[in-house]
Amino acid sequence: MGRYVLKRLLLLVPVVIGIMLITFLMKALIPTDAATAIYQGQLSEQDAAQAIAALRAKYHLDLPWYEQFLLYVGDLAHGDLGESIRLRKPVIDEIGYRYVNTILLTGAALAIALVVGLATGILAAARRNTWLDVTATTIGLFGISMPAFFFGLLLILLCSVWLRILPVVPHGPLAIVLPAVALGLIEAAPLSRVARSSMIDVLRRDYIQAARARGASEIALILCHALPNALIVVLTVVGLQIGNLLGGAFIVETIFSWHGIGELAVNAIQWRDFALTQAIILISAVTYLVINLVADILYAWLDPRVELVS
Amino acid sequence: MLNRRQFALASVASVGALALGRPGSSFAQAEQVARFRLIIDPEGLYNVQSISLAVSSVLGNYLLEALVYLDEKGQARPWLAESWQADADGRTITFKLKGGKAFHDGTPFDAAAVKFHFDTILDPNSASPSKGIVGPLEKVDAPDDSTVVFHFARPFAPFINLLGQSYFGFNSPTAVKAAGQAYARHPVGTGPFMFDSWTPGTRIELIRNPNFKQYRPDAANQGLPYLDRVVLNVMAEEGVVTSALQTGEIDAAQLTADAVRPLADDPQFKVINDKNAKNLMFMEFDYKKPPFSDKAFRDAISHAVDRESVLAAAFGGNGTIALGPLSRGIPGYDDAIAQKFGTPYDPDKAKALLDTAGWKDDGGVRAKDGSQAKFTIRSYADSTTERALAVIQANLGDIGIQVDVGTADWGTFYPSLLKPNWDMDLNRWTWSDPSVMSQLFRSPGHRQLLPPNPAIDDALDAADTALDPARRMQFVSDAQKAILEDRMILPLLTDWPMTVTRAALQGYRLDYLGYIYATDLKVAD
Repeated sequence: MGRYVLKRLLLLVPVVIGIMLITFLMKALIPTDAATAIYQGQLSEQDAAQAIAALRAKYHLDLPWYEQFLLYVGDLAHGDLGESIRLRKPVIDEIGYRYVNTILLTGAALAIALVVGLATGILAAARRNTWLDVTATTIGLFGISMPAFFFGLLLILLCSVWLRILPVVPHGPLAIVLPAVALGLIEAAPLSRVARSSMIDVLRRDYIQAARARGASEIALILCHALPNALIVVLTVVGLQIGNLLGGAFIVETIFSWHGIGELAVNAIQWRDFALTQAIILISAVTYLVINLVADILYAWLDPRVELVS
Repeated sequence: MLNRRQFALASVASVGALALGRPGSSFAQAEQVARFRLIIDPEGLYNVQSISLAVSSVLGNYLLEALVYLDEKGQARPWLAESWQADADGRTITFKLKGGKAFHDGTPFDAAAVKFHFDTILDPNSASPSKGIVGPLEKVDAPDDSTVVFHFARPFAPFINLLGQSYFGFNSPTAVKAAGQAYARHPVGTGPFMFDSWTPGTRIELIRNPNFKQYRPDAANQGLPYLDRVVLNVMAEEGVVTSALQTGEIDAAQLTADAVRPLADDPQFKVINDKNAKNLMFMEFDYKKPPFSDKAFRDAISHAVDRESVLAAAFGGNGTIALGPLSRGIPGYDDAIAQKFGTPYDPDKAKALLDTAGWKDDGGVRAKDGSQAKFTIRSYADSTTERALAVIQANLGDIGIQVDVGTADWGTFYPSLLKPNWDMDLNRWTWSDPSVMSQLFRSPGHRQLLPPNPAIDDALDAADTALDPARRMQFVSDAQKAILEDRMILPLLTDWPMTVTRAALQGYRLDYLGYIYATDLKVAD
């Protein structure tokens, strides 16, 4: 196990370098850099050229992309993520608290997705082919089809404009409620479907019939006997869904003015603020890889049939 | 699943708590607070470093003050300055300051602060985007506390009017020096409101400057600001803004025509159009490339576009069509020239012009000497430009010219204009001074592609160096005429930015440059 984890962690290094390399290559294809994006169209041409040249020299944008890449990796090895040209401050200052915010949002959304998704999935499986099942499945279908940004706006309309129970403009600890619900409910839908089919599958097994024959109550049957086994499949899906949540956060954060890295990424790309964009990609990629690793380890821990082979 | 029950209980409890603590909280009545929308979080609040719209709106509306303001006719009037005088050769302008002003940190506003601001802009290490705006400014002297002398390499007529822009509002030199790089996160000016706090990506809060002295006679309120606090909420998404206006969580927001429409008839709201808007949407041609190098061809296209339809499609009709190459809101706009030399919509004339130029019409796409009239038109991606392009595409189709449209974000679109080999573009520019024509159309032009045209270049040069306002405006008229006669661009329209305010918000008024009279704002209970 220890060897396996170590090996997976070491594997992160080439993957991360590969991701950085790809983003640097993509950057080389983009016709503008941050210096141009800041000054173009704001200055007379010769002054713009001067200012742009000065900025490029300062941030090494005048070097070929592979030299910039080596400089970047060198800085990174010293823990330096670079400086944002647009914001004129170290990237880490901006990303640090935003990352925490994104993790808070995805964490809250995941909790909502798990609670709602599992509850409705289990209920639908236990009451298969009843109105409960049909309702849960139908709502789930809407959830899967609905884009997060649209659902977010509907939530605002419902909770803030009609019911007036939550503010539109985020302030205080309540600010997280709407974005987390928007993100969480959307992700609850696929989770619910997986939980349902997995539960149905398990409930058909012989050992469940045996337990039922021994007189186990329906609730005990579902929660103690069936659920732990059904959860193994659900867990795999959850691992993948965290990636979706991080991606969905990019949109939901912009709608709800939740200052996470998603909102920052959207702006950073428009500004061509490369140090910022690169850092966000890097930090998202590492998060995603680590979460997948954790999911794999949990998987082995929960299911004795799975063995981690290094 | 015990936690399911706990969760349900917790949910009920928290919803109950939320219902009690409803938004629009009651302490707002004790404190006069107005809440506004910011479209994006400003990148920093130091006008030497950034002059984007987001930055200027915060600084210019509330925090900073400038040497001059522009009156309702666009004339520069003394604000922090008492008077100014240009010397005979026009290369030196001396300002006298009013005195008695202090920055929010208590340090006095004086000539040294003015000198410090312009010195910082001129310093190449600042890489200030304002450096290009001050043009031939070489040096600034402050011989005493109330005298500032600007030295120019050559006379620079736009300077006085440009001084009214928020880029030339003043920051406390003491605060700038003390804070260093961090200054952009904590600006210190002389304006009616002081910086209080900034939650990045979320909101900026400003509080009343208790020592404020009003130096602008055109503000209705000559005393202290009525509002105790101004909250600027960063809200990117228009649907969210509309909801926040409806719940009363924000008091005013600039919105696009689409978002304004559902609110327009609601008595809870007022819609304010900035009819002094200084933008111009226009089409440009690749001059060096046939057939756009042929004036007759440009002439035909100039008569083919139905500006009213473009305005209706792109801005819901909220604006005015433009026949002249200078926005109506900019001093020096000459309506007589625009009417006389402009190119009103006349598709029959456009077709006749193409016929004469040898573009054969066989019912489909026209052709001349074996090449078909198929072109592309580029623009930046935006719902307004995309709708305008759809109309233009249809209009040109009507006269037998087939157009493909291509949009990209500004950062991709604009640099692509600087490279040769494109046909037409749709552009939009906003500026407060007629010198915008020199920036865009004085050869080689902003795209580095225009051949010299003495009629245009000479008029623009004369306009930029004539310090006498009346003489200058004559040259500005000449330049408008020359640009129209050359069919250099196809002016389309000026749109009026729209602000929706809640009826409870009073005193929301924009000055000539579009800044709010912040001291006049009041919230009725």
